[in-house]
Amino acid sequence: MSATPNVSGGVRFLSRNFGLPGQTGIESAMKRGAYEMLKRAVAMKPEDVTALVKASGLRGHGGAGFSAGMKWSFVPKDKFPRYVCVNADESEPGTCKDRLILEYDPHLLLEGALICAFAVQAERIYIYIRGEYFYPWRVMEQAIAEARAKGLIGQNILGTGWSCDVQLATGAGQYICGEETGLIESLEGKKGWPRLKPPFYPAAIGLWGKPTIVNNVETLSFVPRIFEIGAEAFAGMGSPKNGGTGLFSLSGCVKNPGVYELPMGTPLQTLLYDLGGGICGNRKLKALIPGGSSSHILKAEECENLKLDFESVAAAGSMLGSAAVMAIDESVSIPRLTLWMARFYAHESCGQCTPCREGTGWILRLVTRILEGRGRKRDVDDLFQIADNIDGKTICALGQAVAWPTKSYVTKFRHEFDALVKE
Amino acid sequence: MPKIEIDGKPVEVPAGTNLVEAAKLLNIEIPTYCYHPGLTVVGSCRMCQVEMEQNGRTSVVLGCNTPAADGMKVITTSEKVHTLRASALEFLLQNHPLDCPICDDAGECDLQNYYMRYGLHDSRVNLLDKIHKHKVHDVGPTVVLDSERCVLCSRCVRFCREVAGVDELGIFGHGMQSELMNPPGKRLENDYSGNVVDLCPVGALTDKDFRFKRRVWYMERTPSVCTGCSRGCNINIDWEIERRYKDPQRRIQRLKPRYNRMVNEWWMCDRGRYGYHAVDAPDRLTAPHTRSETNGQGALTVDLVLQRAAAKIKAAVSKNGPKSVAVIASPHSSNEDLFLLKSLFVDTLKVDTIDINVSKEETGKQDEILMKADLTPNRRGAEEFGFHSGKNGGMSGDDILSGALDGDYDVLIVVHHDLSRLMGPKELAKLDQRCDYILYLGTHENGTVPVADDVIPLAMSAEREASYTNFEGRVQKTAKPFEPRGQARDEWSIWQDLAQLLGIPWKYASAADVFDAMGNSVPSFKGLTWEGLGNSGKMLAGVPEPAYRKVQSSKPLPAY
Repeated sequence: MSATPNVSGGVRFLSRNFGLPGQTGIESAMKRGAYEMLKRAVAMKPEDVTALVKASGLRGHGGAGFSAGMKWSFVPKDKFPRYVCVNADESEPGTCKDRLILEYDPHLLLEGALICAFAVQAERIYIYIRGEYFYPWRVMEQAIAEARAKGLIGQNILGTGWSCDVQLATGAGQYICGEETGLIESLEGKKGWPRLKPPFYPAAIGLWGKPTIVNNVETLSFVPRIFEIGAEAFAGMGSPKNGGTGLFSLSGCVKNPGVYELPMGTPLQTLLYDLGGGICGNRKLKALIPGGSSSHILKAEECENLKLDFESVAAAGSMLGSAAVMAIDESVSIPRLTLWMARFYAHESCGQCTPCREGTGWILRLVTRILEGRGRKRDVDDLFQIADNIDGKTICALGQAVAWPTKSYVTKFRHEFDALVKE
Repeated sequence: MPKIEIDGKPVEVPAGTNLVEAAKLLNIEIPTYCYHPGLTVVGSCRMCQVEMEQNGRTSVVLGCNTPAADGMKVITTSEKVHTLRASALEFLLQNHPLDCPICDDAGECDLQNYYMRYGLHDSRVNLLDKIHKHKVHDVGPTVVLDSERCVLCSRCVRFCREVAGVDELGIFGHGMQSELMNPPGKRLENDYSGNVVDLCPVGALTDKDFRFKRRVWYMERTPSVCTGCSRGCNINIDWEIERRYKDPQRRIQRLKPRYNRMVNEWWMCDRGRYGYHAVDAPDRLTAPHTRSETNGQGALTVDLVLQRAAAKIKAAVSKNGPKSVAVIASPHSSNEDLFLLKSLFVDTLKVDTIDINVSKEETGKQDEILMKADLTPNRRGAEEFGFHSGKNGGMSGDDILSGALDGDYDVLIVVHHDLSRLMGPKELAKLDQRCDYILYLGTHENGTVPVADDVIPLAMSAEREASYTNFEGRVQKTAKPFEPRGQARDEWSIWQDLAQLLGIPWKYASAADVFDAMGNSVPSFKGLTWEGLGNSGKMLAGVPEPAYRKVQSSKPLPAY
């Protein structure tokens, strides 16, 4: 691992300790104030902690952008035990931000998770790390051991009488285990098949059927920062309804790809040109994928004045998702991009429900045929229609994750597909 | 009790009922593959999507996972619902091998049926593009899997885990390569394995016993009751006697469980399921046997045998009194058989050396799901007629046998029992010597036949209408899909003919007649009529209906 994280430019709010010497060790972390906010939180009433997070406007940075404080308040009043799951199964193509937190500031995540656990009075925190993240696993393991030695994890934390344990768990490298109910099933030792909804929220019926809060690594890492500057100040950092900053994973045809921290609502141009250095070879931007591979593609003209927050991106017809911004320049073939996307989802579909299991493979097959020059004009229509038949008809959001890009690629860049097929 | 409306028709259903079940009450079919009322809901096939309007908002919901709530308006006939079903079908059929012409499930396959009803699309998939999986996979001793036909509904997986309580099937791999398989080192060999074939909505799991034997549309279905043990599971007999090319002797093609909430729900055990082979087994008794001199007088008939038996009984009773006649009856006999037997011998001839019980009776495996150790269908019924070994002063079958060995009886009548199980060859020979006349009534060749002077063949449960009382006291009736083999006869009609020869003017035309007479004279059958038994049986008079019990293993595994 390189000592210097790839976070350059932008603001350094969440990421301010990234890459500082010895930061993953608890001693130096505590010197810089780690766990101070936990002390402040446990002095409060749990429901006040939740209220504070709600007031800060913190949104989930895992993809859905759901209000974190709202999620915590869904926990039924008299159901115990309760659990917190940290979703560190970061596997959306283009996303690589959680890894930095896990590797460079594990105590920030632990502190955030503990505050969350205190707010919902959970007795155990599970950190579910994606199977491929060996190094982050080792860092977290070390961090948990250190925190336990300091009495920050375990019985009677900070003398409050509240006890909470932390357990690391790893997946076997399946994208679907990043879906919160798939993650829960996997934690229970079963196949990572997402659960049928309703019940919609694991907050009521989650791990082992008990109330469970599943939050993304980045979301929970923001929590100590909220306590530090206050909910109002945090809300003021971003745009309306989008509190604070966000880690943006910039990739694709840009000169300086990487993870950049920016206040929510920052114009795309800042990220793409000021920080990202512009498009490779100074070519023209053709399209943009704003929120990981499962979001709708935006044409260059659609994102000229785009602001990077959940509402603005949604208004432009896509979603901010996990804030993985992928730039696509004019040299890229959209049908080839579709192939890349379809291959990923066909491989990662869990196989539980019919439309996704059969549809993802079908899309892959059609795109392959088109690219091999065997396509018929009808295949392009079929591509759209099959995606439409998957869209919204599946148990989990993976169906949409393949349907949305496919549909938007075909509608917005139809001419590129048509050029490849014979009549 | 929520009140809802389905396609404009109002219905009131118990709380917690889902839309699929609610629609069934109105005879509206919501198609399903993965949903089964006896298993947990997984909602993976997406066939049961319907439109639902509640509080002014219309949404598409899963019929299987949506409990009915007051004021819901469900629409199952709209264009949108039709499109949703068609698209789910198109997905399911995408990689389907379309080998219906050689598929055992053709004719009763939900893929076929729903395609004809909701699909009817032209395939958009090139045949050569279809994914190939394992075609003939031996998952266990009774079942073969064809993975290409499988729609991955996971019903079989859930059945094994939730009802049988074993982990013998699972879905492996992911995405389009997902495949049903045995977990490593395991085979589908639980006692209820045949049920996965019934559950399979397509032709993926086929029964080795039935595979390639008959097209389903040639078969007739007769509702009946399994007589394999004292549980009395409700079954359907699927039979065919016209086109028996492959196996001309085989009239019953297969047995299928028939839903009875209070007995077996949707399931039956393999012991019962494959037990029907006895009906057309080569060792069936199909004609009367005799060891005496009748052979010169043309073909031997049951009537001739009965005349001789009647003469023997008459002679014995008049010479040595009723004590010289003994009967070892059987709990395999139906209520009607035992009723007439008792009326003739106990009530009329005053024979008290009569019982059904012998030691060393064959017993089977017992579990808490369905199987009972007692392999006789009617022991409870026999007890209701007063056949208790040793109780109320009577003799047990064993006492009767030892008496016979001592030469106490002139006439010994044995029904069904295999004496060679109860005594060695030397004792059998002694019995043969000491007893003047042994009459055996049975269905198969066994160790009693060689020592019997006369043998009368009896009809088996699939060849006769009869009623049986299960261990809980539920009286249920079997139906008669076809005539008995050869000269085999209903047991009760044998007793009736014998009674007439002995001067008792019985004239019962059918089992129903006997049963209704029984209802008038036996207290525990009071109020029961043949018609009234219906398809799901009735409890004996004075026996309360037992509480509902979910048929499942005491250690079910969690849903898959």
